[in-house]
Amino acid sequence: MPDLVATFAALGDKTRFAIVERLLAKGALSAGELGEVADISAPAISRHLKVLREAGIITQTVDRQRRIYEVAPHAVQAISRWTKGHEAFWTASLDRLDAALNKKD
Amino acid sequence: MATLTLEREFTADLETVFAYVSKTEHLLKWWGPEGMTVPEHDLAFDRKGPWVSVMQNDEGQRYKVSGHVTHVDPPNSVGFTWAWHDETDTRGVESHVTIKLVPAAGGGTKFTLSHVDLPSDDVAANHEKGWTSSLRKLERLANG
Repeated sequence: MPDLVATFAALGDKTRFAIVERLLAKGALSAGELGEVADISAPAISRHLKVLREAGIITQTVDRQRRIYEVAPHAVQAISRWTKGHEAFWTASLDRLDAALNKKD
Repeated sequence: MATLTLEREFTADLETVFAYVSKTEHLLKWWGPEGMTVPEHDLAFDRKGPWVSVMQNDEGQRYKVSGHVTHVDPPNSVGFTWAWHDETDTRGVESHVTIKLVPAAGGGTKFTLSHVDLPSDDVAANHEKGWTSSLRKLERLANG
């Protein structure tokens, strides 16, 4: 759950949310192409991309001179698991129950 | 309405697993995701009545969940209601959890947990609240 707190904190910004939405819809995009999501400067976009990267939501690869961004699949999966609600709680808890029962033996 | 069903098989016998899913001292060993502590609790499923747990992560965020133990049938099953509380301590929509244990081959235990969401749209929730308070009134009148 602590990772998700960082995920949601990073997404709790209009521009960053728009960047992630765009990447989910279009796949991999360069910083230049992502500049269209908001009327802000290139350095500002690049700062937002850094925050998203540090939160593990997007990945960056370099293709010749261009930096290409993509949504990290595991970040989306983590959000999806969380929205399934109770499943995350029980799955994590039952792993610990299993461990506790085994330790006892 | 959605139902979550999780099945596990444990090597421990029925009585042992039942103790782990019903008694406070054992529940506290596994209740909540890794890294969570349970600083406040009235957590036991070996008796009917209210239960509550407040979990806390390493950043100090607190998550409260509470309900009522609705049935206890040792060493085979327990049932309890469940609802998260929000930051203002308002209890959310109620759901129902049942844990069933049956002997498995080789002396182990087959564990099945089902978590059933009750109708979660506002209309249904309001109906539910309406019914509950109506029934409480009826109960008071009947006992009066």
